[in-house]
Amino acid sequence: MSKLGLKSKVAIGLVLAFLLIAIGGIFFPVHQPDVHLSANYGGHVPEPFYKLGPIYITNTLITSWLSIIALAGLFYFATRRMKLVPKGLQNLAETAIETLLGFVEGVAGKKNGRRFFPVIATIFLYVLFNAWMGLLPIFNFIGIGHTGTASGAFFGDYSGFIVDVAIFRAANTDINVPLMLALVSFISVEYWGFTSLGVRTYAGKFLRFRQFLLGLGYLVKGRVKSALSAILFGAIDIFVGILELLSEFVRIISFTFRLFGNMTAGEVLLLMMAFLVPWVIAVPFYGLETLLGAIQALIFCALTLVFATMAVTPHETDHD
Amino acid sequence: MDPEAYKYLGAGLAMGLGAIGPGIGIGILGYGAMLALGRNPEARGPIMTNMILAIAFAEAIGIYALIVAIILGML
Repeated sequence: MSKLGLKSKVAIGLVLAFLLIAIGGIFFPVHQPDVHLSANYGGHVPEPFYKLGPIYITNTLITSWLSIIALAGLFYFATRRMKLVPKGLQNLAETAIETLLGFVEGVAGKKNGRRFFPVIATIFLYVLFNAWMGLLPIFNFIGIGHTGTASGAFFGDYSGFIVDVAIFRAANTDINVPLMLALVSFISVEYWGFTSLGVRTYAGKFLRFRQFLLGLGYLVKGRVKSALSAILFGAIDIFVGILELLSEFVRIISFTFRLFGNMTAGEVLLLMMAFLVPWVIAVPFYGLETLLGAIQALIFCALTLVFATMAVTPHETDHD
Repeated sequence: MDPEAYKYLGAGLAMGLGAIGPGIGIGILGYGAMLALGRNPEARGPIMTNMILAIAFAEAIGIYALIVAIILGML
């Protein structure tokens, strides 16, 4: 056998240790994870953090406020003592904001980009913080539960504390948070459309009766041939308008389920991996989830941006 | 088979069949993006952004299947 260098020895040792931990994890059973879609796990939630007067305090509400506090804190401390040459935290915040602004202005143009930027940047940062905070080790593990036994995946039974209701749960995995963001995005897009095109032009994108009425006018004047073609194309135009109006509303559902589904799928994936082989195997999936959180945040804000850009550009209505 | 079995079968089928379409779609999108990158490597930024956007649309369909599968499994 040839002599191995120190580096390769260390590498082999690390790989062996990794394998040992990975295989050893099998012998320490964890209880089967409960996959819940609703944030509060049905209705069986203890009073204390369930209801506060008329307000329902759910675990995702707590974490969404945590991420709001984290965002506010980050930007408060970043902008507290601003210098001309940024350093440290201010540098980070400026880089993030400038990158976002560049992206928004690149898609929507200088003037509209400045208008869209606050909403879109807020959506991006909020989704990103919600997603990344869900990867912290305090999530899904601390909570109200009971002591009991449950069957493990490979060997033996798990006995000990089983969490029924976690105090922290990633906010994006509650369907209300993506729904709220989708509604904000929808309302902003419609507002921008109405304000920059005017009510008449913007509504004319969806209610396209012009061609049809033109055709009726021809019919009255007695030009049957052009009237028929105008009426035919007008009917198609009306149908297209209705479809576009419908697609505006379908966006809400699509936005909601895209974010919710992706984040919930990530959560379930992490739970399953942690359950199958504890300790080591879940680690690469945390990396994957970090990437996915960033991509989902980007997708949410980019789609809002694209829809907003589409809403503020006037439509070419005339066929003839 | 008892109804419970049908339920889980349905959940598995929903996810499995529902993943075919988005998988093919995302594959085609990646193919197109790679071709575009090969032709014009300078346009990396816009190609990436647009590819990710289009993939998001394709992927959303797979996510719907996932939701249906999860709901079926939880019923």
